[in-house]
Amino acid sequence: MFFDNGRSTNLEKPPVAGRLTLDRVSKRFTNSEYAAVEDITLDCRPGEFVVVVGPSGSGKTTLLNIAAGMTRPDSGGASLDGIPITAPGPERAMVFQDHGLFPWLTTAQNVEFGLKMAGVPPSERSDRVADALRMVHLSGSSEKLVHELSGGMRQRVSIARALVMNPAVLLMDEPFASLDAQTRTLLHHQLQILWGQTQKTILFVTHSVGEAVRLADRIIVLNTHPGRIRKEICVELAHPRIFDSPDINELAKLVRKEIEQEVNRVNALAAEDSWRPEETADLGTFADDVGSGI
Amino acid sequence: MLGMLGIPSGFGEPLHPGWPAPLEREPNQPPLPWRIVHSQLIGANIVSAIRLIVGFSISVFLGATLGTAMWRWSALDEFLRPAFLGLQTLPSVCWVPLAVLVFGLNETGILFVLVMGSTFGISISMRDGLRAIPPLYRRAGLMMGARRWRLYRYVLFPASLPALASSLRQGFSFAWRSLMGAELILAADRQGLGFLLALGRDNGIISQVVAVMIVMVIIGMLADRLAFAPLERRVHNRFGFGAAA
Repeated sequence: MFFDNGRSTNLEKPPVAGRLTLDRVSKRFTNSEYAAVEDITLDCRPGEFVVVVGPSGSGKTTLLNIAAGMTRPDSGGASLDGIPITAPGPERAMVFQDHGLFPWLTTAQNVEFGLKMAGVPPSERSDRVADALRMVHLSGSSEKLVHELSGGMRQRVSIARALVMNPAVLLMDEPFASLDAQTRTLLHHQLQILWGQTQKTILFVTHSVGEAVRLADRIIVLNTHPGRIRKEICVELAHPRIFDSPDINELAKLVRKEIEQEVNRVNALAAEDSWRPEETADLGTFADDVGSGI
Repeated sequence: MLGMLGIPSGFGEPLHPGWPAPLEREPNQPPLPWRIVHSQLIGANIVSAIRLIVGFSISVFLGATLGTAMWRWSALDEFLRPAFLGLQTLPSVCWVPLAVLVFGLNETGILFVLVMGSTFGISISMRDGLRAIPPLYRRAGLMMGARRWRLYRYVLFPASLPALASSLRQGFSFAWRSLMGAELILAADRQGLGFLLALGRDNGIISQVVAVMIVMVIIGMLADRLAFAPLERRVHNRFGFGAAA
C-alpha cells in the first residue's frame, strides 16, 4: 500500500539542487544564560536526509528556524544553493510538530494554499493538489476539515502541503512527536518512500534516537547549554528501513551509548541538585527519548 | 378591572392637565392585525432598525479597527485597553447627557450613544480574539509565501473569524440596549421604538408600555437567534470548537 509504482508526478524534480548550508551560526536569546546554538556548521548535500537529535533545549528547533529564515542568527549565516537565507520562503517548506494547518480550510484548500500564494493558476493548482494528496494517501479526505482528521492524517496533510510547493528542502520539526507509536512507525515508512520518490533534501529534528536511526543518512547529535554539534554519525543502511530490524536496534544502541553522558548531564542540570545520574540513568531501557523534559 | 385595583387603566381622561388624551377605546374596532399595521409600531420599528443598522455598522467598523490596532501595536494596547475596560462598565444611558450637550436632541446624539455603548466591547473582544490566534498560523502562512497584506487577508483575518463572530453577537446586544435607552430619553424627531415607550409612559398607558417592552424583547431575541447565534455557531463548527450556546 505504500508503493506508488514510481508514478511520475510534477513533485519529483526540485527546481534547485537543494544544498542547505549553515555556516558557523550562533544564536543566543536575550534572557538565556547559554547560547541556544553555538558555532554550528552543517552542510546538507542535495537529496540528503539529515536528522538532528538532541535533548530539549539543545537548540535543534532554533537551528531549524534559522534554516527556515524565521530566526536570524547572531553570527554566521545560512544559505540554500549559495543564496543567503533571510526570510521564510516556500522553497524551504516546513512541517511543524503541531501541524499548523488552517482550521477554516478543507484538506485540499490547505494543500492548495502555498500554490495560491505563489500565483499558480487554479487549473494547475487542482492537479498538483490531487497529486500531493495521492502521495500521502489522502485523496479520499480532500473535503474534510482539519478537526475531522486524525493526528496522523493531519501530519500527512502537513507533509502534502509542504511537498506541493515543490521545495528544494523539507524542514521537519519533530513532526511525529505527538503521535502514537503505531502511527509514527507507519509515517516513518511513508516518509522514507516519499523521500525516495522526490529526492528532497530533508533536515529533520527530533529528540528520539530510534526515529533518527530509522530515517537518517546522517545523524547530528547536539549538545546542550550551549547547543553545539557533539558528533556526526553516518547511517549506511538502505531505505526504506524496517521498524525494529536488528541492524536498526544495534545502531540505536550505539547512538544512545554515544550520547549517554550528555543525557546524564542534561538530566542532572534539569534536576539541579541531588540527582545522581550514574545511579539512575539506565539508557538500555531508556525509552527512545533523549530527555524531552523530566 | 385595573381601575378597581387602583391602577390607572390608561383609557379616558389625561392623567395630567395639558397632556394629550390617550386613545379612546372605540366601539366596533377593526381587527387587531389591521390596527397593528396602522399603528405607530411599524413606523417606529423601521426608524429604530435604520438607526440600529447605521449605528451598529459604525460600531463594528470602529471596534474591529481599534481592536486590530490594539493587537498590532502593544503600546496602543497598554494605553487603550484599561480605558476601554473602564468605559465598558459605564451603562450606555450615561452617555445620553453628553450626547445632548454635544450633539443636541437629534439623530447624531442617538447614534453617538449607540456607538459609545457598543464599540468598546467589540474592540476588546476583537483584540482578545486576535491575540488568541496561535502564532503557528502566522509562521505557516509566512512559510507558504503569504507576505504583508496577503498574510492579513488569507491567514490572520480568517483565523480571527471566531472572535469576530462572538464580538458581533455581543456587540449587537449592547447596541440594541443602547439604542433603546437613547431613544427613550432623547426622543429625537419623536420617532422610534424607545420613543413609543416614552410616549406610553407620558400618556400613562400601561398596556402600551408593556407591549413596547415585549416587542423590544422579541426583536432583540429574534436578531440573536436568527442572525448572530447561527453565525457564531457556523464559524465555531467550521473551526471544530464544538457547539456554541
